[in-house]
Amino acid sequence: MNFELERFVEAMLDRSPPYILEHLQLVLIPLGIATAIAFPVGVLLTRPRFRRYTGRVMSIFNAGQTIPPLAVIAVFFPFLGLGYWPAVIALTIYALLPIARNTLAGLAAVPREVKDAARGMGMTEWQILSQVELPLSLPVVMSGIKTSAVLTAGTAALAALVGGKGMGAVIFAGINFFRMELILAGTIYIGIIAVLLDRVLTFVEEKMTPSYMK
Amino acid sequence: MIQLELVKKVFPNTTVPAVDEVTFSINKGNICVFVGPSGCGKTTILRMINRLVEPTSGNIYVDGENILDVDSDELRRRIGYVIQQIGLLPHRTIEQNVGLVPRLLKWSEAKIKQRVMELLEIVGLDPVETAWKYPYQLSGGQMQRAGVARALAADPPIMLMDEPFGAVDPIVRGRLQDEFLRLQQEVKKTICFVTHDINEALKMGDYIVVMNMGKLVQKGTPMEVLSNPANKFVKDMIGDDRGVKLLDLTRAESLMTAVTEGSAAARDCSCFLDAIQPVKMALEVMMKNDSDVVGICRGKEVVGTLSWTEIKKHIHKISGDQE
Repeated sequence: MNFELERFVEAMLDRSPPYILEHLQLVLIPLGIATAIAFPVGVLLTRPRFRRYTGRVMSIFNAGQTIPPLAVIAVFFPFLGLGYWPAVIALTIYALLPIARNTLAGLAAVPREVKDAARGMGMTEWQILSQVELPLSLPVVMSGIKTSAVLTAGTAALAALVGGKGMGAVIFAGINFFRMELILAGTIYIGIIAVLLDRVLTFVEEKMTPSYMK
Repeated sequence: MIQLELVKKVFPNTTVPAVDEVTFSINKGNICVFVGPSGCGKTTILRMINRLVEPTSGNIYVDGENILDVDSDELRRRIGYVIQQIGLLPHRTIEQNVGLVPRLLKWSEAKIKQRVMELLEIVGLDPVETAWKYPYQLSGGQMQRAGVARALAADPPIMLMDEPFGAVDPIVRGRLQDEFLRLQQEVKKTICFVTHDINEALKMGDYIVVMNMGKLVQKGTPMEVLSNPANKFVKDMIGDDRGVKLLDLTRAESLMTAVTEGSAAARDCSCFLDAIQPVKMALEVMMKNDSDVVGICRGKEVVGTLSWTEIKKHIHKISGDQE
């Protein structure tokens, strides 16, 4: 494979940019859905009534991450076919685990005596959850979402294989045509997207972290 | 007033009861101290009174009302709760922490602000300095004070205190105890106080309940427990210095020989002590002044004398009971 600077510049400036938004979408939508599922489930699994299901549910989430996204698409292929939505589903399943695990870990790390005192003061279970447990565990939950975001940014490149578009399209074009410049440009953009997401979410995380924890 | 009737608690997956058919009552305005080694069930009793733990059997009444008939959250808002680990909410300021229960009870903001400032003052924290701080910015002693302030916030008639001064060094602990006793003179709460420290129990308690392995071993005033321990367990817990501890609880006036002001005996005294001071202080004064006798005063008047021989006789009498 050859590398020509001129072609690389062209790949960076002309070929890749149209895919940036697509790729971002491919990260943010699965991330949003995964958060909407994994966060409430994580919270539920720490409630006394559902605590005994924690092991089982977490092993499902674990499995979701060990199965390669391509295999997930293969499983859903008969129902959803190829294209954008199967890719979104596969990425969502992939993003579930870090969020669920950090939600559990964050809630578990809330000091026992703080919950005990809150209950002893006469706060209801809901007040304890919403006013004590969630605010105190939010930084850990946020870092789970961040992990998922970075993970999804990389994995989303595979979506192009099933017609799901994204920056992967540039990379796979490069592979098919033996064009190092395209592979490199696609990879660099994915890297930039991952880093930017990480920065933005870190900023949000810091905004959410109360001063006493810093 | 708090009453427990044959209260028993067996925790799931255990066979030995953590609390075994304990019956007692605490009168309004008294401090009742539960004392015993760890695992004796004293904390469990406390946590059953505000329903953080539900008893396996038996009944608990608060002001004549069976606590099972009251919503548990409602009940807890009427009972102050202080724990050793304090448990201040780390993400809330001291003002918000102390105002927690009043906010749950939906007091007006102005009233809460005023009450918090007043309470911080009462527990010896500078309201202007402390109110806006977060718990991590306070020292251990200050956090304990904030914990007590939070428990007092809605002026509950009953307070449950689980080793409330256990996490601070002995000097601060002594000071907090003194301040709390002074505060109690004003607020007259009905208090359940848990400690493993017999000295703290003797100092703080109007009544003492000695617990061991879930069972109530002895209940009585500090004086009764000291002068008449129910068994070897209680005697061992009090320690070898039982006589001296008693001298700390005995007022000088109860051992003195009465004399009249201006009499020869009164004029012979070179040092004096107030009548309500403990006999231990009389010893201290004698030692300092190298004297064998101390004059006992009420106000400025000398009303009696207390000699080293009389104190010795008293100790001997108690130790005599012991053997």
